[in-house]
Amino acid sequence: MKGLRLEFYKCRRRKIFLLYVGVLIFQFLWVGMSLKDMDATELVSGWQWLLYTLSLTDCFILPLAVATLASRNVEIEHKGGTLKLLETLTTPKKLYRAKLLWGAVMLAVLVLVRSGAFIVLGYWENFGGAMPWQMLGRFTLISWLVSMMLYLLQLGLSLRYANQAIAIIVGIAGGFLGLMSLFFPGTLRLLLPWSYYGALASSGMSWDAATSTVNYFWLSPNTRDLVLLFAWMLVFYVVGRTLFVRKEV
Amino acid sequence: MAIIETNHLSKKYGNVMRVDDLRLRVPEGAIYGFLGPNGAGKSTTLKMILGLARPTAGDITVFGTPMTRRNRLTILKQIGSLIESPSYYGHLTGEENLRIVQTMRGVPAQHIREVLEIVRLADQKDKRVAHYSLGMKQRLGLAAALLGYPRLLILDEPTNGLDPAGIQEMRALIKTLPERFGMTVVVSSHLLSEIDQMADHVGIIREGELVYQDTLAALHSRSAHHLALRTTDNRQVQRLLRGQRMAVSLENEWLILPLLSDDDTMALCRLLTGEGIGLLRLEEREKSLEDIFLELTGRAVSL
Repeated sequence: MKGLRLEFYKCRRRKIFLLYVGVLIFQFLWVGMSLKDMDATELVSGWQWLLYTLSLTDCFILPLAVATLASRNVEIEHKGGTLKLLETLTTPKKLYRAKLLWGAVMLAVLVLVRSGAFIVLGYWENFGGAMPWQMLGRFTLISWLVSMMLYLLQLGLSLRYANQAIAIIVGIAGGFLGLMSLFFPGTLRLLLPWSYYGALASSGMSWDAATSTVNYFWLSPNTRDLVLLFAWMLVFYVVGRTLFVRKEV
Repeated sequence: MAIIETNHLSKKYGNVMRVDDLRLRVPEGAIYGFLGPNGAGKSTTLKMILGLARPTAGDITVFGTPMTRRNRLTILKQIGSLIESPSYYGHLTGEENLRIVQTMRGVPAQHIREVLEIVRLADQKDKRVAHYSLGMKQRLGLAAALLGYPRLLILDEPTNGLDPAGIQEMRALIKTLPERFGMTVVVSSHLLSEIDQMADHVGIIREGELVYQDTLAALHSRSAHHLALRTTDNRQVQRLLRGQRMAVSLENEWLILPLLSDDDTMALCRLLTGEGIGLLRLEEREKSLEDIFLELTGRAVSL
């Protein structure tokens, strides 16, 4: 816990809240612009539409946000040459764990704040039906899990390479790939870590060409996809942590 | 008692032996100057002692305990270090930087104020470190190393990049530490003059090999006085003096003789006049510490 507390202390004045603001503004603008053109009949399935739209935007914005978050935390160590000091005071394993926990808390706050904000929006806009608490909870949890998987990747990259441009470029490229992956076939999609926001979406959409109508429906993540998500997490954790622990400063 | 002992300590990067079979002995309470040209392996050695780099071979004993992966942090609790450039978080203040180290070391918070006083940064403690001068950052690094008043302080090139006033200040500060706090200090430098002014023990490293290790006084005793002589026929004088069983060598047109008494010097002059050889120059010389350093490190090169 001391390590986690110090990670928060070290990130003072890093203006990380701006990242949260950026993600929320982007998603509110996206959702808001779509919402403007919707009529009351479409709002009946408002909650399904909302979670579908958020999953879509998550594919693009969250990989970038996660890359930035990891980089903001690790950059200060490279910039100030602090690893050679810290590793005389603690083990690299404990240092890695503290950074991992810090990321887990920060991402949990991000997805919870985001979900809270959109619940308020849905309530305000009178989305149809009862509040789908279970689906909202599942959506929040999956957003967090996929973000954690990407955080493990980005943390490894940011720790390995002092030049943070590498990690950020991977984050940007991942965002685009994640968005494009929505059009990829299912199995190919699962090979891309950034595509899991879409692959594990809590709601789906079907387009009826005959009636020109769009239907939204709830989805349950299948076990295979969840297992693959945890497999990616394990790979990124083991590789990232091992490379960091073995690296001589 | 030796605070640090290394045996056969070696470090290989690729095919290059950066540290080779090092046998360091740092006595307790000493200011041990670890001297060597840039790239000689000083930082690598110090990093190995701190467990930041893994030795390829050899062992390290600190405070009489062989260092292992398991006991590394326990031993390091009694060591303060400043390796290469100072480590700092630029967006945090000096005090906040020290708070991080103090929390990790688990030492009383009041130490922060004390070490800030020692390094004379108390007035600047609320300023962000990014706005510090290099000298101030270096002093902050020293303050962080002093937190908890460790038994051993390892300072790698602490005056690097400082202006003359900063060097003077840092040097004066380091010299007071063994007396004030009973610390043993290992300080590395590529400048002989610096070690000469600070240390009482010295280890000289060249291309990863330890070429000298003893007290600084012993190094100074090597700088014996001698006579240098130039004549109109140096070769003939060399033959004459060798005939009289005198140790004499010819170096760059100069004959080098041991220091002679006044009577012997007069006898030498008479001998030259009698042989019809003109005396051009006669000087008393002392080998400088620089000469000894070059001699020592030069020898290692030829090895």
